[in-house]
Amino acid sequence: MINFEHCIRCTICVENCPVFRVNPDFPGPKQAGPDAQRFRMEKEKSVDNWVLLCSQCKRCNMACPCGVDPAEIILQAQQRYGLQHPRTLAHLLFANNYYLSALGSLTAPVANKVASTKIGKKIFHAMGITTYIPFPKFSFKTMKSEKKKKSKAIKKVAFFYGCFINFYRPDIGRKIIRLLESFDVDVVLPEQWCCGLPALGNGNLAIARYFAQKNAASLSNYIDAGYDVIYTCTSCGLCLMHDYPGILEISLAKKITENTYDLHEYIIGLIDDGYIEPQFVEVKRKIVYHIPCHLRALGIGYPAAKIMAMIPGLEYEIFDDTCCGLNGSYGFKKTNEETAVQLGTRAVSLIKKTGAENIMADCGSCRMQLGGLSGMDALDPAEIICESLGITDEK
Amino acid sequence: MGVIQHDVIIIGAGVAGLTAGAILAEKGYNVALVAKGEPTACLSTGCIDICSLDHDPLHGVSHLPDEHPYHLVSRAVIRESIEKFKESMAQMGFSYIGSPETNRYVLSALGTFKTTCLVPSTMAAAPQDEKDDLHIITFSGLKDFYPSYITARRKNASFSTYDAGASTTMGLATNFEREDFLEKFISWLEKLNIREGKIAFPAVLGLESAGMITKKIEERLGRKVFEIPTIPPSMPGRRLFNALKDYFRKKGGMIYWSWPVSGVEKTKKIIEAVTSPSEGRPKSLNAKAFILASGSFVGGGLTARRDTIVENIFNLPVLVPGQRDNWFDSDYFSLNHGIGKAGIIVDSSFRPKEADWENVFVCGGIIAHTDVLKNGCGHGMALATGHAAAASCMGYIK
Repeated sequence: MINFEHCIRCTICVENCPVFRVNPDFPGPKQAGPDAQRFRMEKEKSVDNWVLLCSQCKRCNMACPCGVDPAEIILQAQQRYGLQHPRTLAHLLFANNYYLSALGSLTAPVANKVASTKIGKKIFHAMGITTYIPFPKFSFKTMKSEKKKKSKAIKKVAFFYGCFINFYRPDIGRKIIRLLESFDVDVVLPEQWCCGLPALGNGNLAIARYFAQKNAASLSNYIDAGYDVIYTCTSCGLCLMHDYPGILEISLAKKITENTYDLHEYIIGLIDDGYIEPQFVEVKRKIVYHIPCHLRALGIGYPAAKIMAMIPGLEYEIFDDTCCGLNGSYGFKKTNEETAVQLGTRAVSLIKKTGAENIMADCGSCRMQLGGLSGMDALDPAEIICESLGITDEK
Repeated sequence: MGVIQHDVIIIGAGVAGLTAGAILAEKGYNVALVAKGEPTACLSTGCIDICSLDHDPLHGVSHLPDEHPYHLVSRAVIRESIEKFKESMAQMGFSYIGSPETNRYVLSALGTFKTTCLVPSTMAAAPQDEKDDLHIITFSGLKDFYPSYITARRKNASFSTYDAGASTTMGLATNFEREDFLEKFISWLEKLNIREGKIAFPAVLGLESAGMITKKIEERLGRKVFEIPTIPPSMPGRRLFNALKDYFRKKGGMIYWSWPVSGVEKTKKIIEAVTSPSEGRPKSLNAKAFILASGSFVGGGLTARRDTIVENIFNLPVLVPGQRDNWFDSDYFSLNHGIGKAGIIVDSSFRPKEADWENVFVCGGIIAHTDVLKNGCGHGMALATGHAAAASCMGYIK
């Protein structure tokens, strides 16, 4: 619902906008959202190209005390702009990130080599893609090639692992499967595609809807068969929970949102129900838990933090005011490079001040950015849980 | 699933809610705080007003009308709440100065004085009379901060303008956090050969390290430096909010953002859980007790309808200051607006009066008879009632 009239112009959203902090070309969520919405007419072509500078971190939505969702207003404006103007190559490529990654993964040894060479970087630049942090390495063995283990467990989940894990870090995906299996949970990998978020972020509603419908149909079958859906990437999660019923208007969305859980939320639930009693073993690490913007936006609190609190020896500090700046494909676009680097550098300098040894984040894109800019190891919460329980990605 | 047992749930992330939450978390209670959005504290000057009616704030408090909620809190608790606040802010690297014995002034962007009690260390050097000579620095393009207003009122004041490549308070504060920017800026300042004894800035000297930045400029220039509060986006307001929030979390509190409360589950005289709208399965959090700190109108705790005023979470009885005609005085600056009295009447245990709930406690701006604008008692009252409500809540769940 677009409720721009509720805006009282208090500017709390502006204080929360990471892009506004560092990029003077972006007028901030108040002006780009509710203020400009008054002038956006159905019949007129959209002219506000600065809406493309919004990274859709959703911090303005979370900050607004009046229930205005500036990010949703801007998201709609981005789709309109995308539809009415020729798309740049980078926008088109990232909207189709799924196919691009599938190709990269299929040709992983070659693709990784090319991406790391000077010529490869030149090609990236020519396409409007930045290389200030290395492009993530494709993995030849994706999640799709995982074999299913037979199980008679009562709890059954369909794992929506997402593109990042599938194409770049299937080892984390495998760890999560082993982890859930160790909890006596039956895990299946449903047929799945990109959640659709990158397409939305690149102003391509049609492609986003195409992916979303295919995913919804696939996940719905599993839900009917008694499976809960779990996600581990918080941006995939936000797209499933928020955009499927929202801007994407997916008819099966209600069923999906009612039965979908964040991985750690699900584990906490298992502990709460007394289904499991994990015996956590000491993990001697000092970490900063960087909260991805989209985890915050999910409105489920920080479930992984609850698990971290159960692990003996683990010292952690929560950072949820700093956006890493990459925002998926946003920071990989040449036009946003400066914004992404400035925000990332700031986030890293705050993290380094704590003297932490590692960074932890639920989102692969946050890990890529913060790990890349800091040179520190950036881990998924599941990796730390597995470390504590002695679980590896091997069977 | 999705339901996790807490001892206390606080509704509202403002000064009152975060204060009450930190006290409970510190004592080892399992506390969660839910927030619809960010609090009006972010819009404030960051200064703590206890009572601005008298030079001695506590003396001012004793002259407030009998119904004022301050009278439900002992002097000792008010003092304790202030001491505790100063201590916790210092721990978070955002020090405050001042004492509940005397009020002080901060200089406003109009060149007038605002009476308050505690001020962030970055405003400590603000002039307390007309004598000090000032040099004001402003930034090209910064809206709503025009030093001419100040120089027109004060004899010994002049100003200079710096082009910082940013024209918003947030953009400027971000620049100040960068060492290269600060260096360049200080060398520009040095070349100005400022003669006046004090240098004033709009409150944009950084976000995380404002205290250090102010100190650095003072040392390099050999002059006292202070900040002048701006209209929102207000950096000192945000620093205050960030420090309170980080302190609460450091004590073990958990915050649920994007969690507007839309319903309650209850049995007889007990609230069992609060719920939040969700596109999917219902979101619900249960607890033994609830602290309502949702603020008044701007904060979203109260909504004014045409003829009445409602409380938005528990539908508690609200003190409505008569017919709508009485809500607003025709002269805005008289501050005699009936609407300032609207809110929830509480008893000495900070439970809502004439309501059935045993496990609901109320604190902060949503309480009736506060008249915050008129009495100059906003954040101070939030601290004191936050303490009192937390103590009462502890007595209940023990």
